[in-house]
Amino acid sequence: MTTLTKLRQSQFVGAVVLALLASAIWQISSGLSFVIPSPAATAEAFVQNFADPRYLRDVGETAQAVAQAFIIGILLGGAIGLLLGLSAAARTWLEPLLIAFNGVPKIVLYPVLLPVFSLSGSKIVMGVLFALFPVLINVAVGVRGIPPVYWKLGRTVQAGKWQLFVHILLPAIRLPLLTGVRLAISLAVVGVVLAEFFATRFGLGRVVLQAYSHGEYAQMVSTILLLILAAFTVSVLLWRLERRVR
Amino acid sequence: MEGIHLNDVHVQFDHPSGITIAVDGVTQQVPPRSFVSIVGPSGCGKSTLLAVIAGLQPATSGSVDINGRRVTGPDRDIGVVFQEDSTLPWRNVRENVEFAMQMAGVSKGERAAKAAAAIELVGLKGFENSYPATLSGGMRQRVALARTLALQPGVVLMDEPFAALDQQTRIFLGAEVRRIWEQTHQTVLFVTHDISEAILLSQQIWVMSYRPGHVIDVIDIDLPDERDASIVSSPRFNELHNRVWTSLQKESMRGFQDVETA
Repeated sequence: MTTLTKLRQSQFVGAVVLALLASAIWQISSGLSFVIPSPAATAEAFVQNFADPRYLRDVGETAQAVAQAFIIGILLGGAIGLLLGLSAAARTWLEPLLIAFNGVPKIVLYPVLLPVFSLSGSKIVMGVLFALFPVLINVAVGVRGIPPVYWKLGRTVQAGKWQLFVHILLPAIRLPLLTGVRLAISLAVVGVVLAEFFATRFGLGRVVLQAYSHGEYAQMVSTILLLILAAFTVSVLLWRLERRVR
Repeated sequence: MEGIHLNDVHVQFDHPSGITIAVDGVTQQVPPRSFVSIVGPSGCGKSTLLAVIAGLQPATSGSVDINGRRVTGPDRDIGVVFQEDSTLPWRNVRENVEFAMQMAGVSKGERAAKAAAAIELVGLKGFENSYPATLSGGMRQRVALARTLALQPGVVLMDEPFAALDQQTRIFLGAEVRRIWEQTHQTVLFVTHDISEAILLSQQIWVMSYRPGHVIDVIDIDLPDERDASIVSSPRFNELHNRVWTSLQKESMRGFQDVETA
């Protein structure tokens, strides 16, 4: 047996032990207070939710908003990151502004967004604002880190702009780009669901908040679990891709 | 007008604190299919001169003609091997060697055949599928050399290609370059600060002065064409070494004093 498979096995065992331990603590604490639903009740609500067409509609709404926020965030973040990485003038003008804007708690902008982008548009914009920065920063740093000799090589073989982009720039920043994309998906979920907590007609954020105000804690926790599971799965998949690319 | 012709090449850089004259009126020629080296102290403008010939850096005044054509910018007929490691880490050896041909739009089949020949020429056969991260610095420079040679450029410019390598690898790779040149007989201009390397490789050496850089001496290397690393111990080699060293010494001292008093 190789050390790697050994490591994988012990990792798996560790994860199972941790899950069992967490479930046990959850089970015990649910007995102590009625606001904490038992794991069994949560699981039941989790399964039943998927038979409810209204719930499925909420899942669809959130998934769609997250997907849109994710894609727009990557494209916009990638474009601005590229500009910052390639142009010293853009860095001088934009960098301080972007750093300051990244420091702003973006959710305070939500009431400003609402009248402009309406209920369904605002949560996408909020998702974009969250997903944007990790891509932007990673791309900008990645582009600046490209060894100058690669550009010299590109010039001596008379590579065109598109060839430079596809054959030098993109592969050279593949690792920071993937890291940015991986962070962007989790943050797109955060932005959209956070927006849904405040004001929306459909979506999982609304489900969570409504379940809370109705005291349906099993429903609330099961939906939160769904969100965590979805973001976690995509992150792990992207993380694996990141390691394969290395 | 075969070969490389330099006509009164001047290069100067303007900065806030003044003007640096990097190359000060170089008029020289590299005959076709010959191997010429430029030696000079650090900061003498030899790399700048090479960049001008490669079309990477415009001359302030003067001009460069290669095989009858005026150099106005980079050209695929001018192959360049850089000092820095320029292998692309996401491409294996074959893909790296094919890079220049791929940019030039050479068909897949032709690319594969030429890459295989170039890889064999530089002695990397068996490493086609290895990635640069698994290769030594010397092997990576062989990959860069194969990439340049695969395009079969009219002239090959080398900017201290082995400067980052250890002494043994340098001598060994130098002998390899000489062997390859004896097979291809391309016009080569080779920049180095290592006198032994320059004598071992070249038919002619240009000695450049410290700032402002111009050619102060041209020395023909009358060693036999068939030479290997053992020639280093011959009396003629020592005479040539002394000759180059005497030319260089004054210049190196001047550069040294300049740095000391700066």
